[in-house]
Amino acid sequence: MNDPSIVLNTLTKAYGDRVVVDNVNFSVAAGTIFGYLGPNGSGKTTTIKMLCGLVRPTSGDAHVAGFDVETQANQVRRAIGYMAQGFSLYGDLTVDENLEFYGRAYGMSASAREARKRQVVETVGIGEYMQYLSANLSGGWQRRLALACALLHDPTVVFLDEPTAGIDPVARRDLWDLLFVLASAGKTFFVTTHYMDEAERCSSLAYIYQGHILASGSPDEICSMPDITPVDTVRYGIATDDVMETFRQTHNLQYLRDATIFGRDIHVVVDRRITATQLARDVGVDASRVEPVRPSLEDAFVALTRKADAA
Amino acid sequence: MSELFDFSGMGAVVYKELRQILRSPFTLALAIGVPLLQLLLLGYAINTTVEHVPCAVYNEDRGPAAQAFIDGLAGSRTFDVVMNVSNRRDLIGAIVAGKVRAAFDIPQNFTADLLAGRDPAVGAFVDGSDSAIAQVAYGSAITLSGIPLRNLTAATVTPFEVRPVVLFNPAMRSANFFVPGLIGLVLQNITIMLTALAIVGERERGTLDQLLVTPIGTAGLMLGKLIPYVLVAALQFTAVLLGLRFVFGVPIAGNIVLLAVLSLSFLMVSLGLGLLISTIAQTQIQAQLMAIFILLPSVLVSGAVFERSLMPLPMQIFGYVIPLTYYIEILRGIVIRGAGVAQLWPSILPMLGYGVLIFVMASIRFARSTRG
Repeated sequence: MNDPSIVLNTLTKAYGDRVVVDNVNFSVAAGTIFGYLGPNGSGKTTTIKMLCGLVRPTSGDAHVAGFDVETQANQVRRAIGYMAQGFSLYGDLTVDENLEFYGRAYGMSASAREARKRQVVETVGIGEYMQYLSANLSGGWQRRLALACALLHDPTVVFLDEPTAGIDPVARRDLWDLLFVLASAGKTFFVTTHYMDEAERCSSLAYIYQGHILASGSPDEICSMPDITPVDTVRYGIATDDVMETFRQTHNLQYLRDATIFGRDIHVVVDRRITATQLARDVGVDASRVEPVRPSLEDAFVALTRKADAA
Repeated sequence: MSELFDFSGMGAVVYKELRQILRSPFTLALAIGVPLLQLLLLGYAINTTVEHVPCAVYNEDRGPAAQAFIDGLAGSRTFDVVMNVSNRRDLIGAIVAGKVRAAFDIPQNFTADLLAGRDPAVGAFVDGSDSAIAQVAYGSAITLSGIPLRNLTAATVTPFEVRPVVLFNPAMRSANFFVPGLIGLVLQNITIMLTALAIVGERERGTLDQLLVTPIGTAGLMLGKLIPYVLVAALQFTAVLLGLRFVFGVPIAGNIVLLAVLSLSFLMVSLGLGLLISTIAQTQIQAQLMAIFILLPSVLVSGAVFERSLMPLPMQIFGYVIPLTYYIEILRGIVIRGAGVAQLWPSILPMLGYGVLIFVMASIRFARSTRG
């Protein structure tokens, strides 16, 4: 179980002069949920497409489930499931027909199809919609159907490109709960997302920005990177009733390194010597409302992105 | 290269496409009905058998010879007398107004002059707007001149007689020439359109990537897309063939099984051409424009409407580039002349060759465009 099921080795994709994925290295342990994060256009989908054999790498190589994505594309295809961005099934086919098609596409026998269909339908709980046209399903059910199709041939590695984009919070949570159940049964999930709460739930993460991996590791490891909160600084959270006013106040502080609004809180990075009491006085809030905070993943990614932009 | 000829997953694609086709019965009905409808419309519209040309008559003479001439006009298949006018000005006026295409002016003393052997002349005016009608009307008008004389004098003496024999289409019905050509044309049009959207449609709907991560091979996908439409095309062919036989009354001189087999081959070639377009186009609009780009010249140079041997040489050569040209040769050969494989192989071989070439090109093109 500890053999990595995905390994990227100096993987690079360039379209002409434009390098979309630049010298990327990381690996994903089997039976884990790996989160691949980054802004739009940072190279996430291109990386997934290379790993699925949809896009040929310019240089470097990658192994998925032990197979080389370039030279063993056929074996890779049988070992992986893939759920593309957006609705990528046939809206004019029913739920049952979509599943039937993918079962046949993998060359499964009629009896194997029936058995596997029953299994995945039960897993994702889509049984009562079998005869519905998939175009008529809600976004959340469409994603579940897509997941069912991706799981039908019992792949060991599943790639999910923004599986929760555009679906409601309950459907989002249900889908993630499902991923945990499946991962605990040994499947490896490679998931892209923009949601930080989803990222926090991943076993490990990589953050890609403009084709470069800026950080990788567990959420805790990433949050405690020295780049996120430099050694001579400390991070406080300020709870305030007037977020905009307090935010403005923070910018008058001589010792401020960074300030970010989080809902009704403001996270600031300041000089290490500054105490919570002093900070509270300087921004005009009660001392009880300022306390040191651990950086969130969002803090981490904002810090990493700013650093990369500055470089 | 081995991936190119990977047929796995073909059955899955056939299953899916058939389900999708059957999901929308109206589209299917359109696909089968439209070629038949086009055949009926075009078959009646393009008719160079000039018959029932409306004409006007000004009969100043009112004698028996004039009446014999008018009866001859009315009895001919070429002319229909639709107007009798009372002066010469109205005669020309009727042509200018477009009410008639020909007009005959029988002058005063026509009967008397004829009987006196003074060679009287009947004025015949033909509207030259449509050259085909004009030529036939002109020719017929001249032959009509013999009628009054024969009827009056019962003289049938002619120095010699030409007895032309028309082979294959003795009635010289233009439908026998045009309708088979039109069949080729309408079948080509609909089949190219059917598959032109097949691949690019999946690309635009975002379903193509999901397909490509499965073990479905390139050839499997291409043939899987093609086969269900061959079934649709076979129904289309049956519909237009029934139209040919029973609506236009064109007899099929040759072997109908051979006709069906070769037609099915052509339909596959044409569907393949659509598929090729589908792998080149980036959007469905582009695919439609490309299809039209192929369709229009093929109307002109394939011989569907215009006889190829009358075309300038470059146009004749251009015709050989289009698979439809060969199919129309085959169609006319079998339907009109009762030809068999022994006579038709110079058309059959290139047509089948094109089919294989187009299919391989589509597969190569597809493999290149999808794994960039």
